[in-house]
Amino acid sequence: MKRKHHRWKWTVYALIPTVIIILPLYFIAIAGFQSVAEIFHKPPHLFPPNPTLAYYRDAFVTLSLYLKNSVIIALGVLCVTLLVALPSAFALAKFHFTLKRPASLILAFTQVLPATAVIIPLFLIFNRIGLINNYLGVIFGISVFTIPFATIVLNAYIQAIPTGLMEAALIDGAGFLRIFLSIILPLSSPAIATASILTLILAWGDFIFALSFLKERTLQPMSIGLYNFIGQYGVQWNKLLAGSMIFAVFPLVVALLAGKAIVAGLTAGAFKE
Amino acid sequence: MTKRGGALPLPGRMSVMKGTKVAYFFLLPALLYVLFFGLYPLLYNVSLSLRDVTFITYIQGTARFVGFGNYRELFANPIFQRTFSNTLLFTGLSILFQFTIGFLLALLFNRSFPLKGVLQSLIMVPWVLPIIVSGSFFRWFFSDNGMLNGFLLAFRLIERPIPWITSGHLPIFSVTMANIWLGIPFNFVLLYTGLQGIPEELLESAEIDGATGWQKVRFIITPLLRPVILATLTLGCIFTVKVFDLVWIITQGGPGDVSHLFSTLSYSLAFNKLHFGKASAVLIVMVLVVALLTALLNLFQREV
Repeated sequence: MKRKHHRWKWTVYALIPTVIIILPLYFIAIAGFQSVAEIFHKPPHLFPPNPTLAYYRDAFVTLSLYLKNSVIIALGVLCVTLLVALPSAFALAKFHFTLKRPASLILAFTQVLPATAVIIPLFLIFNRIGLINNYLGVIFGISVFTIPFATIVLNAYIQAIPTGLMEAALIDGAGFLRIFLSIILPLSSPAIATASILTLILAWGDFIFALSFLKERTLQPMSIGLYNFIGQYGVQWNKLLAGSMIFAVFPLVVALLAGKAIVAGLTAGAFKE
Repeated sequence: MTKRGGALPLPGRMSVMKGTKVAYFFLLPALLYVLFFGLYPLLYNVSLSLRDVTFITYIQGTARFVGFGNYRELFANPIFQRTFSNTLLFTGLSILFQFTIGFLLALLFNRSFPLKGVLQSLIMVPWVLPIIVSGSFFRWFFSDNGMLNGFLLAFRLIERPIPWITSGHLPIFSVTMANIWLGIPFNFVLLYTGLQGIPEELLESAEIDGATGWQKVRFIITPLLRPVILATLTLGCIFTVKVFDLVWIITQGGPGDVSHLFSTLSYSLAFNKLHFGKASAVLIVMVLVVALLTALLNLFQREV
């Protein structure tokens, strides 16, 4: 009994910094329930005095098109990333070849490259080949960083799949493509889930590629829709923050449901601060 | 740093079986992708930075080679000098605080207690929030009639609003504060995972011998954790020097170019002023600074 009490003490200690860290999220969430006058009240309200859903509803209606674009872009990035990263992870995890080390280094290096360091040349190149104002341009841009990351996460996991399984399949006459499709893929589903979750969160949150490559409003994702809001004269902060909260729901739910996967993936890939 | 359950990886004996060509076949898409969309653009910056590329000269193909002209102009420009010191300040302060807070949190969480999993997931919130969400929040939080001034005024800590993001010298500190918050989860996760690798018996026996908490950290945890600490600091450096979104959303480098980092200055040169050559030169400087910092950190590690 005493021991148990002792352990709850640590929960309280850990709760204090945790609450401070998530405080901004709380204030974003309640801002959407208040009028502009209320969110600028001095001192700031700790609870919405007259909560209303009107601003959330308003923000959702205004921003739903942007939300749709965010979904398209995130799913596009996921497809491109898995399609390219899965085979490369297989190659790096299960084969020895001359260029293995340079190849891994190039991937690790690309993963930590600043997006700003590729965005100007990519803009100029994409401008020539018609990928500006095109979902594909943004999808290709974001994937530059999700592919190496996903490869590293998947590689770590596939390495642990016993090679004996593949040798047995080879002896039975299966080809390498068959081994990849019917042994590696099914067995690495937990790692595929982790890589997919992180890829989706990253693509969902992208700001710089959409900002630079999508000037047409009908193609812009939610991140830019919200950013356009800030640029306006006389920002409606309550509506903007309501929209932000709507946009944040997806990653937040994922974080709570798959917190372990995020931690594991982040540690293996260490890709975004 | 990574820990895996399940079977130990066997050395890949498949290579013996005509695997090489197959391996390249599987690897090729990723390699080509990264070379074409990642490394080629990076190197293309070098070429851009040595020519006077603007939008017009680029379209017409008339950009002249100017050698290090762009770089010389940059280093003579007060805005760039300011950006340089801003970036160093931003990086230094961010890492100092993120790392310290992350380390303390990791030590706090390095034991089992009820609801630990939930709290750990909540600490990840700054990391999973889309940057536009946290950026918008901080822009509102730091604005002249925003929440921070609201609280400070209410508690009578200040008499009139502080221009957190509208004055000449405060904005860089304000965005640094925001970035510290943003970086806590990353530092926490890496250091926490590292701590998990230290055998519990070691700490317990130190406790029996009468070691205080501080002594355990100083003489057992820090030395054993050194590789993880170094990796965390190195990655922290790489990721902090290149920060773009947060600053772009909160201040756009303003007011009057006082809060630029390398990335935002480069971006505004490229996409507002359409001077791609100079923008690329800023990027090359940024990459070199990252390389230098990383090298210094690793050198320092070896000497200690």
